[in-house]
Amino acid sequence: MRPLNTVRIKMSDTLKSHNNVRTDYLIIGNSAAGLAAAASIRKIDGQGSITVLTNESHSNYSKPLITYYLAGMLELDRVFFKDSSFYLENNIRLICNANVYDIDPEKHEVSADTGKEGQVVFSYNKLLIANGGRPAIPPIKVVDSSGKISELSDLMAPDENPLERKKANRKQFSKKINGIFTLTTLDDAISVKKYIANNKISSASILGGGLIGLKAAEAFLELGIKINVIEFSSRILSASFDEIASDIITEKIQHSGSNVLTNSTIDNIFIDELSNITGYQLRSGKKVPCSLLIIAVGVAPATGILGRAKDILKADGGITVNEYMQTSDADIYAAGDVINSFDKLSLKNKNIAIWPLAVNQGSVAGTNMAGGRQKYGGGFFMNSVEILGVPVISIGLSSAQDNEAEDIKTYKNYNSQKNIYRKIVVRNNKVVGAILAGSIERAGIYAGLISNDVDITDIKDNIAKEDFGIIQLPAGYRKHLVVGDGIEV
Amino acid sequence: MKRIHINEQYCIGCRLCEIYCQVKHSKSKKIIKAFKEEASDMMSRVLVEEIGSNSFAIQCRHCIDAPCVDACISGAMTRNENTGVVNCDEEKCVGCWSCIMVCPYGVIKRDVKAKRAASKCDLCIDEEIPVCVANCPNEALKYCEDKNE
Repeated sequence: MRPLNTVRIKMSDTLKSHNNVRTDYLIIGNSAAGLAAAASIRKIDGQGSITVLTNESHSNYSKPLITYYLAGMLELDRVFFKDSSFYLENNIRLICNANVYDIDPEKHEVSADTGKEGQVVFSYNKLLIANGGRPAIPPIKVVDSSGKISELSDLMAPDENPLERKKANRKQFSKKINGIFTLTTLDDAISVKKYIANNKISSASILGGGLIGLKAAEAFLELGIKINVIEFSSRILSASFDEIASDIITEKIQHSGSNVLTNSTIDNIFIDELSNITGYQLRSGKKVPCSLLIIAVGVAPATGILGRAKDILKADGGITVNEYMQTSDADIYAAGDVINSFDKLSLKNKNIAIWPLAVNQGSVAGTNMAGGRQKYGGGFFMNSVEILGVPVISIGLSSAQDNEAEDIKTYKNYNSQKNIYRKIVVRNNKVVGAILAGSIERAGIYAGLISNDVDITDIKDNIAKEDFGIIQLPAGYRKHLVVGDGIEV
Repeated sequence: MKRIHINEQYCIGCRLCEIYCQVKHSKSKKIIKAFKEEASDMMSRVLVEEIGSNSFAIQCRHCIDAPCVDACISGAMTRNENTGVVNCDEEKCVGCWSCIMVCPYGVIKRDVKAKRAASKCDLCIDEEIPVCVANCPNEALKYCEDKNE
């Protein structure tokens, strides 16, 4: 195994004998939002010191790529998205293995447990919280060989604030179960890959048929491992796909010899005396033997690190920010999967945990932290997955159905022979959602129509056609789209 | 930077731009060989849209705030700060198609024939003039400085 690209800075070099580090800009989080912010700070402020903290042991890597690594489609040294030179060229100090457990907004201090170096206090002028999300653990009972019952979340609650955990008197990792994993970090993917190799796994179960579950499914199928997907609702990918798109993927999975079980969940997990998973019991009562289980029921903003700064949360879910990505504390900014950001389609703040928005938000936050002035224009949900060779892109309110009261109309084009499906959701004569399955060419044109709030009254008849293109767009929008960039209309 | 400007009123939909683009991005770079032997891998990065007598050719606009660069999860799609060219490193690209999802022009293609990677206009950076422009018989494509920059 080749080493990861890394500019890991030895803690002993940078923090030697002092437990207090001063920095102009402190960024918690070393992924899409955090590094976009660091880059845009550096564009404005060439001098100020930038420190990036991550609770992981790796230098940057792209979270969406971990399942590509698991599938064997990428080597471990290819999962990074910024070259190691990024930190050096931009003079950014990266500190790995730093578990933040408190933020003191009054003193402008962040406390972190750095493992070997002990507790370190970072003093900042401007702080960005961009530490992302953490996987949710559903209420499931774990029954050991002696019949003793524990809660799964007590056994594998990840990334929780160590202080809060102490208060609640919970012992983390007191008993690790072999064969149960979440799959949101590179370490998770490395552990799963090792476990598969060591235990010669040929079948796996995935609890949760959402995007993370399906990304895991994609990787296992690529490895020739048969899967059981267990989904609580009536169909997989119910949040972002409609019934036809869900059916296309479900059939594809079933056709490959794997199973999709809907309207179901796991109530009990059974482990042996060595804490190996042996099986689980479904809500129906049925017991299923199992040696590898992935928990993929969702990801929630990782706000457990806030400590004394928890007042900046304001709402359920993620941290609340204004259009400058600033929290209620003027010196604390937040971006990425940990926030509730402006959703252009509902006109409300929502947690939309996707890569492109995290980059955009991080970049805006960085500009404002460094004294620039830039507004975040908002965004909307979108995602692209490919399962067993069928690419699917879903954008905006993609699962919406016709609804006269809300003036929602859908335009569909389904070729069941070729498994090609396109559905465009229109509300008040404007595109608000799209699904493209099988053939995803030019999907971004719809995202553009949503972003730019374009009235499509005159082109409705063509909107879901396979050859829909720029040429059909209203002349005004075409001109707007390309002014200065060279289309003459 | 120099950009490809589109003059829809002069485009006759001859698709020579597509042909020269395919040859330029073929292995052999020879028109007969490319079309006879490499046909299965060929893919044009410029796209002619046509309805009746209306047509134009469109390729990557090399946006200043390129949404495809923000959306790229592998670091393959980057904008060169010096040249302004938005380029996809096809070796780094994993084929997640996030760029296709966000490009408002719909000018990034899904290449699963030659390799699994996003395929788009690279402005023929090693040529003085991109081949689609150089071979357009009507100046429906022009390569010149952008007045707005």
